[in-house]
Amino acid sequence: MNAVVTISQIALGLGALVALVRAIKGPSLADRIIAVDLILLLTAGGFAMEAARGGTQLLWPLVTVVALVAFTGTVFVARFIEWRDTR
Amino acid sequence: MTWFEFVGSGVALMGVVLSLLAAWGVIDFPSPLSRMHAATKSASLGVASIAVGAGLAAGSPALIGVGSMVAVFMFVTAPISGHLLGRAAYLAGDVSKLIRDDYAGVSMTEPHRSDASNVFSPTRFAALVVVWVVLWRDPGFGNWVGGVLVASLVETAVRSRRLRVRPAGVIPFLVAYFGLILRSNLRVAWEVLTPSNEAIREAVVAVPLESSSRSATLLVANAVSFTPGTLSVDLVGHTLYVHVLQFESHEAVTAEVRKVELLASRLLPAIDHAP
Repeated sequence: MNAVVTISQIALGLGALVALVRAIKGPSLADRIIAVDLILLLTAGGFAMEAARGGTQLLWPLVTVVALVAFTGTVFVARFIEWRDTR
Repeated sequence: MTWFEFVGSGVALMGVVLSLLAAWGVIDFPSPLSRMHAATKSASLGVASIAVGAGLAAGSPALIGVGSMVAVFMFVTAPISGHLLGRAAYLAGDVSKLIRDDYAGVSMTEPHRSDASNVFSPTRFAALVVVWVVLWRDPGFGNWVGGVLVASLVETAVRSRRLRVRPAGVIPFLVAYFGLILRSNLRVAWEVLTPSNEAIREAVVAVPLESSSRSATLLVANAVSFTPGTLSVDLVGHTLYVHVLQFESHEAVTAEVRKVELLASRLLPAIDHAP
């Protein structure tokens, strides 16, 4: 199980790095928030895998919180873009 | 390795693969709207399976429950943020590559406000208060006061109308919805793995919805983000603007949306309790 967790976390980390490239490159704000949303979701996935290692189960609330931040953040930025671009 | 760990790691690894596909799609696809196909579809199913897999691997029923709750949260939030972000991505992004754009001109009109009026429901209010107190696990006076405050806030904030759901339609809807999620992920995986971006023929297509009720219309608008190859951009009245990765014909897109409408009509009654 430990090996599976480690491999998954490395893979998720690589995925987050790839998404980070998009967050930096943009070109539009929408691209960036799509990428940041993805990075946060991959982070939540990494925490869930760490919980699967079996050391501590205190990471589960963190999974929920990170996923929640990803959702609210995306919604707020989407609203902001709408406000900015339709004035 | 126990049986639970074996199945759990299998499910989790599938989730990791989907997440990687999502990341690759976000870097590889040519426009913000097409990148959203990868991000909303693959990432939500990916992280959902990671959570369920991790819960399974831990092996206790409580943790399987927690993992499944995270998965449900992903499937509820992903279409909502996808729907909101769709319009934003259209407004902020480069739309010159669209081979058909029914949304041009419509997009710059005032953002439409919700015309929902506040229907106060005493049962919902009481339920909110009780949920609040139960969550605190302490039926003290302060928590009841807090519960009433939070319930009042929610009641004023959501301004929702009464929603009737057909109980018989719930299970078929969930099964069919999950099938759509799986198929749309296969579709995105295919688009990500085939190397050439020239093959992507993006378009934004206007589809008039047949559903008469407002709640069904909204459900369709959100669920369309999970049907294969489509993503909802905006809902104006009863017209849904859909972004498609591979545009073939207007009829093909309409047919996909009709499938979702049929599902929604089985779940929600035709006539809304709208004022």
